[in-house]
Amino acid sequence: MTPRLWRTAFAALALAVACNEEDPGPEPALIQMVDGDEQTANVSTALPLPLRVRVLDQAGAPVSGVTVTWSLVTGGGGTITPTSTTNVDGIASAAFTLSPVVGEQQARAAVDGLAGSPVTFTATATEAGGGGGGGGGPVSVRGGGNNVPERFTSDLWLHGNFGYTGTWGLRQQQGNAIKVWQLSATGAPTLANTVVIPNVGTVSDVEVTADGQMLLATTEGGTTAANGMHLYSLSNPAAPAPLGSLSVSSGFHTGTFATISGGRYVFGAQNPPNPALVIVNVTAPASPAVAATVPVPALYGIHDTFVRDGIAFVFAWNTGVILYDVGNGLKGGTPSAPVEISRLITATGGVTGGPQAHNGWWFHNPTNGEKRYLFVGQEGPGSVGGFTSSGDIHVVDVSNLNAPVEVATFRLPGAGVHNFWMDEARQILYAAYYNGGVVALDVSGTLSGDLASRVLGTLQPAGPAGTFVWGVMLHQGSLYASDMHTGLWQLSPVPEN
Amino acid sequence: MTRSVPGRMGAAILAALSVCAQVGRAQSAAGRVGAHAVLAYDRVSPVPGGDGMGELRVVQPALMAHASLLGDRLRFAGMLDFEGATMPGGQLAPGAFGEGYVDRRHPHTYAHELMLSGVLSFAAGRAGASLSAGKGFAPFGTDDPMSRPVLRYPVNHHFAQLLERAVAIGAARYRGLIVEGALFNGDEPEEPSQWPRLSRFGDSWSVRATARAALGVELQASFAHVASPEHRDGAGTPQRKWSASARFDRGFGSARAYAMAEWARTSESDGLFVFTSLLGEAGWAPGRHSAYYRFERTERPEEERTLDPFRSVRPHHDNSVFGRSRWAIHTAGIATEIAWEGMPVRIGPILEFSVGRVTSLTPASFDPASFYGSETFWSLSAGVRVGWGARLHRMGRYGVAAEEGGTSGAHSHRMVTQDDT
Repeated sequence: MTPRLWRTAFAALALAVACNEEDPGPEPALIQMVDGDEQTANVSTALPLPLRVRVLDQAGAPVSGVTVTWSLVTGGGGTITPTSTTNVDGIASAAFTLSPVVGEQQARAAVDGLAGSPVTFTATATEAGGGGGGGGGPVSVRGGGNNVPERFTSDLWLHGNFGYTGTWGLRQQQGNAIKVWQLSATGAPTLANTVVIPNVGTVSDVEVTADGQMLLATTEGGTTAANGMHLYSLSNPAAPAPLGSLSVSSGFHTGTFATISGGRYVFGAQNPPNPALVIVNVTAPASPAVAATVPVPALYGIHDTFVRDGIAFVFAWNTGVILYDVGNGLKGGTPSAPVEISRLITATGGVTGGPQAHNGWWFHNPTNGEKRYLFVGQEGPGSVGGFTSSGDIHVVDVSNLNAPVEVATFRLPGAGVHNFWMDEARQILYAAYYNGGVVALDVSGTLSGDLASRVLGTLQPAGPAGTFVWGVMLHQGSLYASDMHTGLWQLSPVPEN
Repeated sequence: MTRSVPGRMGAAILAALSVCAQVGRAQSAAGRVGAHAVLAYDRVSPVPGGDGMGELRVVQPALMAHASLLGDRLRFAGMLDFEGATMPGGQLAPGAFGEGYVDRRHPHTYAHELMLSGVLSFAAGRAGASLSAGKGFAPFGTDDPMSRPVLRYPVNHHFAQLLERAVAIGAARYRGLIVEGALFNGDEPEEPSQWPRLSRFGDSWSVRATARAALGVELQASFAHVASPEHRDGAGTPQRKWSASARFDRGFGSARAYAMAEWARTSESDGLFVFTSLLGEAGWAPGRHSAYYRFERTERPEEERTLDPFRSVRPHHDNSVFGRSRWAIHTAGIATEIAWEGMPVRIGPILEFSVGRVTSLTPASFDPASFYGSETFWSLSAGVRVGWGARLHRMGRYGVAAEEGGTSGAHSHRMVTQDDT
């Protein structure tokens, strides 16, 4: 190779590196309030809507990438997102949790050197129980919490007078247990039993069949033989008895029951390195039989499945959402031969890591008969110990199952979404939001654009500094929440009216 | 890849290295081969669960070959590392992490370094440029710990080096100033037999500037953007990495002195996790004996572990990084070297002791006192270093970024490399 060729090659390489430089973009000049001012909420709760400001340049065009600093003016003991960055619309937002002091409290947003800075927001803190959560009022604590100190808590399911929670990773003890809870309509859930699954690292998901006869627990992080799924008889709901199991060497991350054409199935999310939707026939629970294995692209795999009306919605991380006919008739699919209907990659929303489609709920609206919206949870990066999370709710219009399209999003500033539950009759979506606690969203009517104005209530059951909610579920008039650090909580859902 | 493939692969690479070295000799150019290994007994207390543990392992078993052809315009640097066979479970090392190992230093891949460089020299040697490609180190951070005095790997290994990647590096040098830029694949290996994902080549990049001053002083600053290092298929979050260091390495008659101070910072997930490291180490060798010391203060991620407390889940599931901890470690050691006239073999006993403290930065999720039984720990390593032929070189610099004389600066480190103490 000649010296000239070497120089040319090096210049090309230097150019490739230089091309990674970003355009510095327009200069910010002005900061102004968008919304979030003059809200009212209970003391020690988050305001229902985020505080929002917009940053513009000299020409009035939005400027993205500007760091806005948020601080409390009055209301010591409250918290606010310390900094946030403007998006492509020039908007930055912050979550404001009021202090325990009743009365007026203020926070402000500032960017040094900008006209209009600082922007001051005023909120009013009312006595607890005094309403003010927006819409029908806030969610509140009925009881429970701080009841699983030795393990991290994962998923939850409730049936009859009992509840079941999984356990995660390693705390003082390994997450190898199912916690069994005695429920009470008025009192806190009390621990009735602890069922240990030997050689398991995490019990990542739990679910009970609709008839209350069988409990499913999915497992991972353990031995090849113990990873996978475990079925228990609930003849005595306080003492689940092993019925059968299926070993999956890399484990199931989640599993969900579905009854199709008279057969009972578990839709399991098989972990990498060979991620797949695994459909298991558990009609004879003592001997679970794999009906189908559908590989899912390793980006980085499948996290959850929602099955309804013979359609399986597979939430496949950066591959997005994949819809399969598993008995609906639309494409002739069956549990043993699923047929893909369509797929959609939900938006990243600027969340680090990509679309990260994690979980979902297909909303069947009993008030108008629509089956139009699929809610998709995006799980961005977070830290259990650092009490941080990220990721949004993406709303997908599946009126045409062959061509789903994303129509709306919701972001809780400073937190990321995890699992859902719906009060379909009241058209309320409850979302576990890790450090953001529990969020109740009004999802009635037509959903479009930013759903920030539809917050009905929020609650961090263990407080602003100690909450990390994995999942929520409505049951017998209460909203239950599993918190990774503090266990099972019993909450009051959004009240009528 | 089946179990037999690494063996076949190793044999093929070994043959290639041998041919390269022979060609180098035949053309009267530099061509050297060497071997290196340490038989070490490591005793550590506590390990997860609170007990002590001791293990005898062959660590850092390596074969090296370097060749310089066409008047030093073409250089080859290769190293095979057999830790995958001799220590598949890793080496006991409190605080160590990476590639799915925790509190154990992971084994490296069999093909540790296979780099070919084309080098041009200008202005009577005052300036030069090079292009290097192959499997090796991206130009970022400091030298591979294997080529430094301390046997124990630092906790910051994954913050201060980027290694075992498919990498293409352009470098330019003017006198003592060197600038390097590289494209490479972001994925880290997860087992010794893995090769980089060529489909991901170019998704990550790094730049490094080095200034070599007089009297053996070298300054370095570098930056890297690494896409999805923890997930081979590319669905993980990116890292941004910074490194700065000052290094001193000089002979004083028959003695030699070495010192290095480095700062490293890794920001993951757009700043959601930030890990910083400070490290200083020094060595002094008045003859064939040597003594050395290192202090390190490094933050590391606390990850979801499997039932094996020394392993973490790969790839990460939801929120697998659940906290951070800080490790402050003092390490001191002594070594010597016994060589025989006319014999290419060297033997060097080594004794090394570490003591340190771990602090949780996220107490809600990770409590060292309950996990290890104590916030303080110690480790003792006693072993024998065996070398044959060429000595370990400064791994991580190629072409004009390698020190003068070609063949990746293999002649440097008279005193301070592990193989040389």
